Amino acid sequence: MRCAECTELLSAYMDDELMRDEQQAVREHLATCADCASEEKSLALASRRIKENFMRHSTPDVLKARIRNALAQDDAFTVTEPTSIASRRVWPRWPALAAAGLVVAVASSTITATLVQRSVAGSTLAGAIADSHIRSLMPGHLTDVVSTNQHQVKPWFNGRVDLSPAVPNLDSAGFLLTGGRIDYIDGRAVPVVTYARRQHVINVYARPADARSNSAADAHESRNGFHMIEWQSGGLDYWAVSDLNSAELEQFVALFKRG
Amino acid sequence: MSQRDVDRFERVVLPHLDDAYTLARYLVRDEHDAQDLVQDAVLRAIRYFDGYREGDARAWLLAIVRNCCMTWLRRQSSTKKVSFDAGTLALADPRETDARAIQGSERAALTRALDALPDEFREVIVLREIQELSYKEISDVVGVPVGTVMSRLARGRKRLASALGLDAKEAS
Repeated sequence: MRCAECTELLSAYMDDELMRDEQQAVREHLATCADCASEEKSLALASRRIKENFMRHSTPDVLKARIRNALAQDDAFTVTEPTSIASRRVWPRWPALAAAGLVVAVASSTITATLVQRSVAGSTLAGAIADSHIRSLMPGHLTDVVSTNQHQVKPWFNGRVDLSPAVPNLDSAGFLLTGGRIDYIDGRAVPVVTYARRQHVINVYARPADARSNSAADAHESRNGFHMIEWQSGGLDYWAVSDLNSAELEQFVALFKRG
Repeated sequence: MSQRDVDRFERVVLPHLDDAYTLARYLVRDEHDAQDLVQDAVLRAIRYFDGYREGDARAWLLAIVRNCCMTWLRRQSSTKKVSFDAGTLALADPRETDARAIQGSERAALTRALDALPDEFREVIVLREIQELSYKEISDVVGVPVGTVMSRLARGRKRLASALGLDAKEAS
């Protein structure tokens, strides 16, 4: 066998993908040719480095949920040609969302003074909720009930806690319902509804509204790099916590309120 | 599609989701783009599922993912060059952090070398080295003859070896 021929087959030889006689011929040539043997060594090393350094990825839960969701919908099987990725990255109802976000942003800048006062009053609770959020990010702690279906998550809370939080479906806006759980915070069982935006987890906590802190304005806080927004609705005090940027979290809260 | 087909799809195709996501991650080199593309590919797979009878479901799904990614890459390259941020990838999976800290610089060099490969070489390298497919399976996924798989792998590995400075002896 000539070196040129050997070089051509070397890679397949390493993978044991040659015919038996070719495999044998390459082996014999390598035993007698130092140049080809050294080339085999360098190719094998490159191959081993790739194998050792790059591993297989696991599908992120968010993507699994998105796919489960698609499968659960009957119309997934008659979908029209998917739009291009470029335009799909911007979620379908983006213009409306952007407008909503803008409103929240303007509103929030006008209520900053109230927020500072309120966040001081509620700082113990906020701390407890931030701790709970961090705990939830540890493996296996995020959800007790895993479902992307609001009609499964909402009833799950019945009989487990004494209040029934809103569980809006915000899929179309790119905030995916992932499930719910119950946390024990500040002396009471608190229902938590979980959403995902890309890789980010959003926890929404619900507690009975405190008459003292009854306010029409949202309260914003940042703790340990997490953003928290508190608001009141339907007699309940809600907290949304996430490492999502604050603009997107505000957008989420605006949509959540609208249901 | 009937509930029975949905069940069958979940049983036959979805177990290969990690493979699909892995391929997309290494082809498009961005986790969010990879997620979008895999979702896109799975939606297509659902629609084409009628046409799938028996056979290698993994290769079948990977072929769809591969086509989605390649179409996307071609569209990207016609608009702008995708730059690969090794730092972003390094933070992607916390379970790999320890190993990464040790191998950090080697990884960065490898990432650059892999990234520098033309798409048609990179895909066969990923399918073979990382996903451990046979030449026949790669040929099914990529849609080229086994002989082409063989020569692309050979050239891809040679380029990697030289990018990593492993063939210095031969060059001198």
